[in-house]
Amino acid sequence: MISICVKHLNKRYRARDGDVVALANVDIDVAEGEFVTIVGPSGCGKSTLLYILGGFIGADGGIIEIDGKAVTGPGIDRGVVFQEYALFPWLTVAQNIRYGLEVSGASRQRCEETVERLVRMIGLQGFEHRFPRELSGGMKQRVAIARTLAYDPKILLLDEPFGALDAQTREVMQDELLRLWQATRKTVMMVTHDVNEAVYLSERVLVMSQRPGRIVQEFAVTIDRTCEREITVLNDDFNRLRNEVWLSVRRQAGARGV
Amino acid sequence: MKAMSVAPRRWLRNGVRSASLHAAWHYLPIAIVLLVWQLVVEFDVVNRAFLPSFGETLRALWEMTRNGEIGSNLLVSVYRAFSGLAVGSIIGVAIGLAMATSRRADEFFGPLVATTYSLPKSSLVPLFILWFGIGDVTSIVSVLLACLLPVIVSTYHGVQSVPAVIVWSARAMGTPHHLILWRILLPSSLLSIFTGVRIALGFCFVLTISVEMIAAKTGIGKLIFLYGESGAYAYMFGGLLAIVVVAYAADRTLLAAMNYFLRWDDSIHAAHVGG
Repeated sequence: MISICVKHLNKRYRARDGDVVALANVDIDVAEGEFVTIVGPSGCGKSTLLYILGGFIGADGGIIEIDGKAVTGPGIDRGVVFQEYALFPWLTVAQNIRYGLEVSGASRQRCEETVERLVRMIGLQGFEHRFPRELSGGMKQRVAIARTLAYDPKILLLDEPFGALDAQTREVMQDELLRLWQATRKTVMMVTHDVNEAVYLSERVLVMSQRPGRIVQEFAVTIDRTCEREITVLNDDFNRLRNEVWLSVRRQAGARGV
Repeated sequence: MKAMSVAPRRWLRNGVRSASLHAAWHYLPIAIVLLVWQLVVEFDVVNRAFLPSFGETLRALWEMTRNGEIGSNLLVSVYRAFSGLAVGSIIGVAIGLAMATSRRADEFFGPLVATTYSLPKSSLVPLFILWFGIGDVTSIVSVLLACLLPVIVSTYHGVQSVPAVIVWSARAMGTPHHLILWRILLPSSLLSIFTGVRIALGFCFVLTISVEMIAAKTGIGKLIFLYGESGAYAYMFGGLLAIVVVAYAADRTLLAAMNYFLRWDDSIHAAHVGG
């Protein structure tokens, strides 16, 4: 079953000296439960694509469907995790996590149970009443993911979710995301410029071109994800694929001499 | 500048004794002003008849406090100042929010705000006297108008600078349109709103006192004006001192409220507001 369907998607931005074409004829199908990552050079329009899927900005033609229905705006069938976390700084960890349930009118008991379960899952017991400013980057990103999971969306849209973290924290978070996806089998569409991350996490990697963004190459990733990270990363198949994707992205970046 | 900010912090590291040193540092400028005042009088730099000493001013203030003159007039002035501030702030926040969220409201209020921003509101007082007579209403309306603009402008800019991803994530989590204002934009722009109200707080005392001088029968402004007219300058300064103390206390209270309601905010802690 197709979960996300994008056909002939076009997007232009108005600029002082004429329109800038951000996305040109993008076609993507994501099956239910699939983990797909888009990699591409910075400024190629991959975040724009995610924002269009999120329903935050409109497209200039093309078809964008979620479960067969056209996207007309944001909806709780899609959970979005932003690069800058976008936590509500005036709410505590617990209040941030329960926010989505609260506005949907869930019972107090359900809110409390969900918060308790998710706080335990992200290992932030004892931090429930802290404000985001009192948390480290990794903790903030955990809360951002937890608050998205709280209202149980079918699809996760991740916009460079670990881009602002240090290398060690990023690896820990990637493994957590992998475990989470394996446990829930949600449909995930992630955008990143980190080739390693893309190949390590996803079942399919799509490479996007320099602006105007198009999908130029597609890689199926068939690695055994039940192994430990060290085994996966040191595996020859993994490295061969990672190098291929890296070369493909590099060709795109090099097309403009960046 | 650098030396000034570094010195007290170095003292602060050494515990309680240094904390009092820090406080002393903080109030040093006020002490210097009082000292200069006293010296100017002692050495007859200015004619003593026209400038009472700090001691004389305190004695006059004490006398007026005991006979109830300060209490009753201060109550009237504070009532006028705070009613104007409160109503002006509420209307200001409402207009600022409307302008920032609706293009139509922006087009309607925008030119009005831009043209009246630099207009001295006290210039309208003669007109208000004709409309509302002498007394509370004239004072309150003038204060209200003066408080309105800083609050409108800061609320507007506060809402405008709310990051798009904050609003987007609220929408993604299912926040209906009509709740975005209340649950997202208002708390997000709280620091700006508070800053606007704090500027308005200063204006509210300025306006109250100056309007009372020309268009009231009671209030500290009137008291100052009457004692000034009759040449009882110690009493005039006494009245002034009373309003300065009240205004200072009000500002500190607002600052404390701000620190409490914005305890989640990064920037307020980084900037040591009111430290």
